[in-house]
Amino acid sequence: MPADPTTDFPVVARFEVRRRRYIDEAGTLVHPLPDALSEPHSIVRLYRAMVLARTLDAKCVALNRQGRLGTYATAYGQEAVPVGVASAMRRSDVLVPSYRENAALLWRGVGIHEVLSYYAGSERGSDWAGPAHDFPTSITVGGHALHAAGAAFAVQYRGEDRAVACVFGDAATSKGDVYEAFNLAGVWRLPVVFVITNNRWAISTPLAKQTASETLAQKGLAGGIAVEQADGNDVVAVHEAVRLGLDRARAGGGATLVEAVTYRLADHNTADDARRYRDPAEVETHAGAEPIGRVRRWLESVQGWSEARQARLQAACSAVVEAGVEKLFAVAPEPPSVMFDHLYAAPPAELARQREDGLRAITAEREAKLRG
Amino acid sequence: MAISTFRLPDLGEGLTEADVVEWYVAEGESVALDQPVVALESAKAVVDIPSPVAGRVRRHCARPGETVATGAPLVEFEVDGEVAGDAAGIEDAVAGGTRGIENAEAATPAMPRAVASAGGDAAAAASGAGSVANRIVAMPAARAKARAFGVDLASVTGTGPGGRIRVADVERAAAEAGGGTAGETLRGVRRTMAQRMALSRARVVPVTVTEDADIGDWREGEDVTVRLVRAVIAGCTASPALNAWFEDDPPRRSLHRDVHLGIAADAGDGLFVPVLRDAGAREPAELRAEIDRLRAGTADRSLSPAELDGATITLSNFGMLAGRYGTPVVVPPQVAILGAGRAREEPVARDGAVVVRRRIPLSLTFDHRACTGAESSRFLAAVVADLERGT
Repeated sequence: MPADPTTDFPVVARFEVRRRRYIDEAGTLVHPLPDALSEPHSIVRLYRAMVLARTLDAKCVALNRQGRLGTYATAYGQEAVPVGVASAMRRSDVLVPSYRENAALLWRGVGIHEVLSYYAGSERGSDWAGPAHDFPTSITVGGHALHAAGAAFAVQYRGEDRAVACVFGDAATSKGDVYEAFNLAGVWRLPVVFVITNNRWAISTPLAKQTASETLAQKGLAGGIAVEQADGNDVVAVHEAVRLGLDRARAGGGATLVEAVTYRLADHNTADDARRYRDPAEVETHAGAEPIGRVRRWLESVQGWSEARQARLQAACSAVVEAGVEKLFAVAPEPPSVMFDHLYAAPPAELARQREDGLRAITAEREAKLRG
Repeated sequence: MAISTFRLPDLGEGLTEADVVEWYVAEGESVALDQPVVALESAKAVVDIPSPVAGRVRRHCARPGETVATGAPLVEFEVDGEVAGDAAGIEDAVAGGTRGIENAEAATPAMPRAVASAGGDAAAAASGAGSVANRIVAMPAARAKARAFGVDLASVTGTGPGGRIRVADVERAAAEAGGGTAGETLRGVRRTMAQRMALSRARVVPVTVTEDADIGDWREGEDVTVRLVRAVIAGCTASPALNAWFEDDPPRRSLHRDVHLGIAADAGDGLFVPVLRDAGAREPAELRAEIDRLRAGTADRSLSPAELDGATITLSNFGMLAGRYGTPVVVPPQVAILGAGRAREEPVARDGAVVVRRRIPLSLTFDHRACTGAESSRFLAAVVADLERGT
């Protein structure tokens, strides 16, 4: 057989993708901790945020089943990604989240009742106590990668010392929007970090049917941006990968893509039943690698984290969540007209007319009700 | 002590009902806030409903296997104190927020089964699957259909995933119960008929005009079918617009010089329309021979597909059995079909007197997208004139 003649030509580019990991699933440190997280108490903060997120998720599912909350997607098993991302950000940085980043919202200062009110259908859920420059949750898959690129361009254009962090799932990396965002971020050296939450299931589509790439991180290579993979169940790895990317972005070094490899242990959302398309045995093989258990095991080994401590934390999380629920239902619903109130600084005439029409209709309906 | 009725919420996005799979908490038993009370199956998922209150389960409003409509009562709770409705139990939960800890011996914080079902709780998932196997699993639409038809779902074999009963299964069962055939999938000529008729219905703008041809002057033994063929050819000569094909999108019309006449023939279990090629160029004897050949070929299914294709206009001699007028269906791309009812003697006014004459009732349907009313009337007039000739 003749030799492949193309091997005679010079190599003009080489690429590689590395996977970052500090704490493995047994709770063993496999790489020295980064400086910022070298003290156990700094990791306890991350751990607390993950436990709170899981507690909130469980409550939200319960509220949905009780008819008090709309469709909700938990981050069960993926808590390290939003906590790792948010904890790596400065307050002045801009978060552009998708719908499994509630833990990141909480870290950024959004109230539990505000997270809840988004899923209860209230505009208050996007008008939060967290940073006003953060973007509201994107339900649309991948479209917000372009918004993030745009926000990063604004930062760059104004010469500000801040960066943008955008989180989306594995399915988003099959969308043209995301490739366009990578390309723009690369060619304009935009200060943005894209984070892929690779939970390996796009509702019912497994990753193997989503892409032929060995990694999702390499999808950023064509955009000419820095890429790396992180163990997405290791909160330290996600934190550090994103922190380095944000530092690079603020220093003018351009964009970064971080693929956080995790696993969706839960149903896609409350309107889904994953047992219909996913073998429970597969879930079983991933359950041991989830992010909270490994940190707890590590804390037990280095710090003697106890049952009592765990119980106190869980109690505190439950109390905080229940207080948020109480606060949600203590507030009167908003009038429908608020749906117009957060769209434009100066609403166009057509929108203003729709708002007036809507108000008139509501008033008429109320009057009709009063007259009985 | 207050009683709060819990109504079934929308468990998906726009779901209208769910079936009770299993009650986890019996009537009279106490229940904690967010403790799973009942497993429900919607069209989308099997889910656990956590208790919205801390208290006691007073009454189950539906038994396992029964369907509950969204918004209908599912369960009644007894709650201590002056709480009512959905707000119940919240203060209680905040005060006693340590309740969750009891479940925390596990390596990770406990999740309700609703969340954990896909995850660590394989045993629970397996037992859930077991209980599903012992009961009727049916799509909500299928249940509704079964109610409407009075079909007992227990007697229906499901063909959906895991034996799930689908609407089609209920329809088949209903047909069987009625003594008919069981939802057979149509094949061959009957399937073709269904498709062509539906296509016609979707596309054609049909107008049907009726008329009678007086054949009282025919001599003994005149060949009705051959005369009808000849009359169609006369009609096409007088009005070529009806011997045409019409295609839409963009609208296109092809006028044909030759008449390839489709002759609708009953074959016992289906409709065949063999094509009498170049009918205008044949002598009556030859026409008869060709008609016989096509009829025999239809009977023994020996006609080639080519002999069933390419008609430019169709004749349906439906009156051989019964029927006076009809609304024959134009099959695209053709634009016209002539139907002939059963010839009969009847009283008619003729030269100022009522006389008994033998007449053939005719029904012409044309596609008004392709033909004008005048073109069609000219066609029909020529058909009648040709039929009314003695020979």
